[in-house]
Amino acid sequence: MKRIAPIDIIGGIIVVAILAAIPAVTGSNYLTGVLTVCVIYGIWASSWDFMSGLTGRENFGHSLFIGAGAYTAGFLSSLWAANPWYSLPLAVVVAVAFAVLVGFPTLRLRGPYFALAMLSTSAILQRLCLIFWEYTGGEEGIYGLDPLMKSPLYYYWFALGILVITVIVLTLLARSHWGLLLRAIRGDEATCQAAGINVTFYKIVSLMISAAFAGLGGALYAHYQLQVSPPLFSVIVSITVIIMVYVGGIGSIYGAAVAAILLTLLTEMLRGFGEYRLWIYTLTLMLILFFLPNGLIAPLWRRMTERLR
Amino acid sequence: MLQILIYGAVSSAIYAMLAVGFTLIFGVARILNLAHGAFYALGAYSAYVFTSLLGFPLLIAAPLAVLLVAGFGVLMERFLVRPLRSSQLAVLMITLAVSLAVEQALFITFGSEYRNVPSFVADKLTIGGVDIGGQRLLALVMGVLVLLLLWLFIQRTRLGAAILAVSQDPEAAQYMGIPTNRIFSIVMAISAGTAALAGILVSPFLTVQPTMGLLPMVKAFAIVIVGGLGSIPGSIIASLILGYSETIVAYLISTSWTELVSLVAVVVTLMIRPAGILGRRAAF
Amino acid sequence: MSDLLEVNGVTKRFGGLTAVKNASFTLKKGDFTGILGPNGAGKTTLFNILTGFMPPTSGTIHFNGELVRELAPYKVVNRGMARTFQLTRPFIGMNLLENVLVACMSPRAKEDKDKEERARHLLAQVGLGGRDKEPVETLPYGDLRRLEIARALATRPDLLLLDEPFAGLGSSEIEQLAQLIRRLHREENLTILLIEHKLREFMALVSRVIAMNFGEIIAVGPPEEIVKNEKVIEAYIGKTEDAHASA
Repeated sequence: MKRIAPIDIIGGIIVVAILAAIPAVTGSNYLTGVLTVCVIYGIWASSWDFMSGLTGRENFGHSLFIGAGAYTAGFLSSLWAANPWYSLPLAVVVAVAFAVLVGFPTLRLRGPYFALAMLSTSAILQRLCLIFWEYTGGEEGIYGLDPLMKSPLYYYWFALGILVITVIVLTLLARSHWGLLLRAIRGDEATCQAAGINVTFYKIVSLMISAAFAGLGGALYAHYQLQVSPPLFSVIVSITVIIMVYVGGIGSIYGAAVAAILLTLLTEMLRGFGEYRLWIYTLTLMLILFFLPNGLIAPLWRRMTERLR
Repeated sequence: MLQILIYGAVSSAIYAMLAVGFTLIFGVARILNLAHGAFYALGAYSAYVFTSLLGFPLLIAAPLAVLLVAGFGVLMERFLVRPLRSSQLAVLMITLAVSLAVEQALFITFGSEYRNVPSFVADKLTIGGVDIGGQRLLALVMGVLVLLLLWLFIQRTRLGAAILAVSQDPEAAQYMGIPTNRIFSIVMAISAGTAALAGILVSPFLTVQPTMGLLPMVKAFAIVIVGGLGSIPGSIIASLILGYSETIVAYLISTSWTELVSLVAVVVTLMIRPAGILGRRAAF
Repeated sequence: MSDLLEVNGVTKRFGGLTAVKNASFTLKKGDFTGILGPNGAGKTTLFNILTGFMPPTSGTIHFNGELVRELAPYKVVNRGMARTFQLTRPFIGMNLLENVLVACMSPRAKEDKDKEERARHLLAQVGLGGRDKEPVETLPYGDLRRLEIARALATRPDLLLLDEPFAGLGSSEIEQLAQLIRRLHREENLTILLIEHKLREFMALVSRVIAMNFGEIIAVGPPEEIVKNEKVIEAYIGKTEDAHASA
């Protein structure tokens, strides 16, 4: 419905080209690894933005889908020694199942039930991983996963490709009539009801879509780290993703992806700060909430390219 | 059997203290305070600092700690939450940020080893053949006392009536001349104070470490969902249910399964009666 | 010809307060009926119950022969009963076309393959044609009401409930809006149920009046009879007498 401006497409192509070229040009395996994590965070952030950014229904437990996808890959690899490629679609299925499980009872309610339920469920799952350590490997989790590809560079390009597909699909959906409905739900649910829209259905389906991509990202991450552990379910992961979306500009999808990449790079560079990293996160979050509620990346891009639209 | 009865009561009382504070600030100010667990932890650590590092006697350290954390809560509400009240998401985020910041600050300052807070009551008592630490008993008694006082306060005093009015309709209350902002601060102080008190009471027999607030937080969520957001009696009933269920599970199966109790309770509540036991109808 | 809407003994209690008491009436297809009553008479509560935004404490509602019970509002709309709100709530951040487009996504509008086209047509129908891209925030009251109606029409309703469409409008705007409503009633074969305060415009529009006071229906009949009805006069004049007494 909303046409995507040519300048946005050009911008996107340039960014992707640069991202693809960096590791090939520098030949650094370290950089390739870091960038792989960057793009995976991009997948996680843009998937969060699609549901919560558009509908305004805050999902405080995105890590639930991430961890579900990752552990699916882990179990598949360790318990059944199956072909690792199966973990990708399976991770999606499991993540979507969780979305329905938590979303179905809570999204039809007013109030903060959905936000609380997502937060609680991800926290509880983290605990469960520790409690049932005989099956999940406890604190250390599952390790020794099979990589999907031998070459880290090819795997990075593969993950980058998935990010591109993710952003394209989610952007197309967001700009379509679907996205219009989601934004309307954010605006006024009662009016949507009066317009004959089954609000709960659309919320649940958009959560399922969000979960699908997040779970996929989780599996990608598992096959990169070759290890999965309980912190993947933590609230830290959830809030990191939310910060990225806020910095990127809520509702823009591409903003979330770009911010995710930049922030992950920044985190890597701040590695020397150790424990203070979390402080920096939370401070950033507070600053953004107070001073930049519309985000940084998307508004900046829009301002820069105003004349070219 | 008696053992379960007593230990279950202790758990319930502590959970109730936490849950009531949480549901109170939500019911009155519509603030979902994710920093509630941080207040709990801060209470315990403050008591630790006052007793072990500054050498105050416990009888002085405890009230000081409660006041300190209550003050912290009031400041947080005034300067971090109030400006963002227009967006529930922003309030959730900022309280979550505070909770993480506190956790990190505690970690950086005190490290991750467990700290020790001395007990109020060091002796063990025997009731009906059951051994129970005096501190646990104290926790139970204090918990019940605090809740009773809170209940009387809200039901019998003018301030309490004002709080009830604000929780039903903040705008109408304002038109009636009730200073809603001041009420928010007072309720926040009560909420933070009770959480801190819970932390102080349990610190002698539970571990004191920076992440100690997370698990109680999750339990408080579960209780509040089961009991009904915004309902104090609901939270108390749910605390009893969860406290006793956990104790029974711990005795009959194993202590590690107690987490599942909260999960199951939440899932069952959401499926059958999402608004909770005493919550108002929350569906569209 | 069977009734389009059949309301039977609908009662709504809020704790100690009875907002609607034993309301019963029927609407035939093509009717243009109005609900009249002073503030607090229970009119909007009745609307909320009819359209699924509130469950009745007791009583039944039959629409098109089917029982309407505990249905979510969107389901009621999809059965063919659409409503407008007294306080219009447009989708902020969107333009006029998008506001109507949302309603064109409902199941009853499924046959329209080109949704934008239908939305444009609806905007034109209510007199907002050609203003698709205008942001909704800057729209004056009268146009907001038209937008509301366009959105309600998008769901191809059999019954249209209008909640005080003339509130806050000046007399020329009222006249234009009244003309629009009259035209829609004719052209779209709509059955209309209207709540309004403003007696004069109201009486000129409707062919039948349901008068309410304190949650009860006190009289039903054509406008000419209702104005002479004792209970109605008491409900309205009684209020002004009180006002004089306390002045």
